[in-house]
Amino acid sequence: MTNPYSPAFAWQSRAILGRHLRVHLRNWYTVTLPPVCEPLILLLAFGVGLGRQIGTLSWHGQSVDYLHYLAPGILAYTAFMSSFFQSLFAAYIRMHFQKSWEGQLTTQVRLEHVVWGEALWAATLATAYAALVCVVLAGFGLANILTLHWEWLPFSIPLLFLAALAFSAIGLYFTAILPSIDHMTLPFFLVIMPIGFASSTYFPFPDVPFLSTAVRFNPLHQLAEGLRALLLTGEVTGHLTCAAGLCGLLLIIMIPIDMRLLRRRVFGDR
Amino acid sequence: MNVGSMPSQDNVLLSATGLVKTLGGNRVVDGIDLTCHSGEVLGLLGPNGAGKTTTLRMCYGFLRPDAGQIRIAGHDLAYDGDRARRALGVCTQDNTYDSDFTVRGNLVQTGRYYRPRQADLSQRIDALIDQFGLAPFANQKPDTLSGGFKRRLMIARAVVHQPRVVFLDEPTTGLDPQARVAVWELIHSLRAEGLAVVLTTHYMDEAERLSDRLQVLQAGRVRAGGLSRAVLGDVVGEHVVLLGAQSSQVSEVIEWFKNSGAKPAQVLAHWHIPMDARGLAAFVAAFPDLQYEVRPPTLDDLFLALAHETT
Repeated sequence: MTNPYSPAFAWQSRAILGRHLRVHLRNWYTVTLPPVCEPLILLLAFGVGLGRQIGTLSWHGQSVDYLHYLAPGILAYTAFMSSFFQSLFAAYIRMHFQKSWEGQLTTQVRLEHVVWGEALWAATLATAYAALVCVVLAGFGLANILTLHWEWLPFSIPLLFLAALAFSAIGLYFTAILPSIDHMTLPFFLVIMPIGFASSTYFPFPDVPFLSTAVRFNPLHQLAEGLRALLLTGEVTGHLTCAAGLCGLLLIIMIPIDMRLLRRRVFGDR
Repeated sequence: MNVGSMPSQDNVLLSATGLVKTLGGNRVVDGIDLTCHSGEVLGLLGPNGAGKTTTLRMCYGFLRPDAGQIRIAGHDLAYDGDRARRALGVCTQDNTYDSDFTVRGNLVQTGRYYRPRQADLSQRIDALIDQFGLAPFANQKPDTLSGGFKRRLMIARAVVHQPRVVFLDEPTTGLDPQARVAVWELIHSLRAEGLAVVLTTHYMDEAERLSDRLQVLQAGRVRAGGLSRAVLGDVVGEHVVLLGAQSSQVSEVIEWFKNSGAKPAQVLAHWHIPMDARGLAAFVAAFPDLQYEVRPPTLDDLFLALAHETT
């Protein structure tokens, strides 16, 4: 195989991305509902509701109320979950049940374009969902419930895209190896729950030496903490650099593995 | 069977030489050569597992051959893949249309997977929808169509970008006779347009009616090739003796055939025994009072003969 990264910029990958976008936009009114409602419900139920019981949390020596702690975390978590779900579940259905991959692969589109098209689409969708979360957060801001450094919000979008792209590469890995749709619960237990709960998204991670070291390698933790610092204090911290670095590393490692495994899966080939 | 003059070498649109492919440790294709010319239908025949679909998949770039070279309209598939793929169209064995789009949407979307883009794509799609009788269903999802119209859509998708070579992998499997004939007419029209058509099928009448040339595969190799008569002569022989399985002398006769090197095969109530003129003369002399039928071989006999050789 030649360079596995350059097909990301090929017209065929954009054609696949465009295909997914067209299908998605046809149902925009139903598909937009969950990404708007989910953060709204989470912020109301946990941020406002549970937040009243919790009061304030200690975060890096500062006292922060739970809604403010939660808001940046939800932004990061949306990018993670949406991307992972799209590249795992939706891509698996397109590959295995709809056979739309096979239809695409009989044209000028090759497997590397399909893989990148899926990854780019998952990242684009997740970033769009994260942008909708930003709109919901802005609504809380207008209602004077939430105060963030709003000026940094647009700058978080490129990083969210990179993170979503990296998470999609993990999703595609499971798309390649899961024997059947009945095994879809495995990545939820093996990836989503450990990464999600050890990420400081919903609660500060306990200060246990071994765990604190391990969690540094969790890109979602770095992303959530970086966004939290950015939006609560307006500071650009090392967490953002670490998040970008870890996500970049994930992409570099996972994309060739995905392609190799998917080649075997789709073609029954070496 | 369209018995015409053999095409010349200068209009070869598909040329595959020395194809080899191993899948799961088995050599599925073992040195197959194929050529197909402009305005020609090449029928690929063979029992299940003969390597037809794998050969086709290599020819349209879905699988990479372990060895061999494939040229589509003069472009090497391995080194000039984009141009080669632009010049070919594929109707896969399964319906691999995009079920998220309508019939028209499928053709539009398929057109987007090719560069340079078809200049008049919209008019081209309108023309295809008319030609393939898809107009009443143009705005429906393909899953709502009957089997025959799904296959029509699959073939329309294969030619939306005006390729020069079309691969049709069992295009009529599972269709009723009327739908099969409709697909045959479409295949005829593709040939008339000057496309090179490579077809795999299990239906012998289909292969005989549609193909200008046949290539018989067996265990990953070309067993015989050429015009239908020549292929039958090579593999089966000149005559087939049909002997009732209930005949009183049947065991004695079958034993005689086996001893003389013939390969009898029983199908329901009859034994089918392919043989050459000399063998037939000897048989007539050996059993002068026996009742039997002699007829020319068909492609069904070819399959029986191949199955017999395999077992």
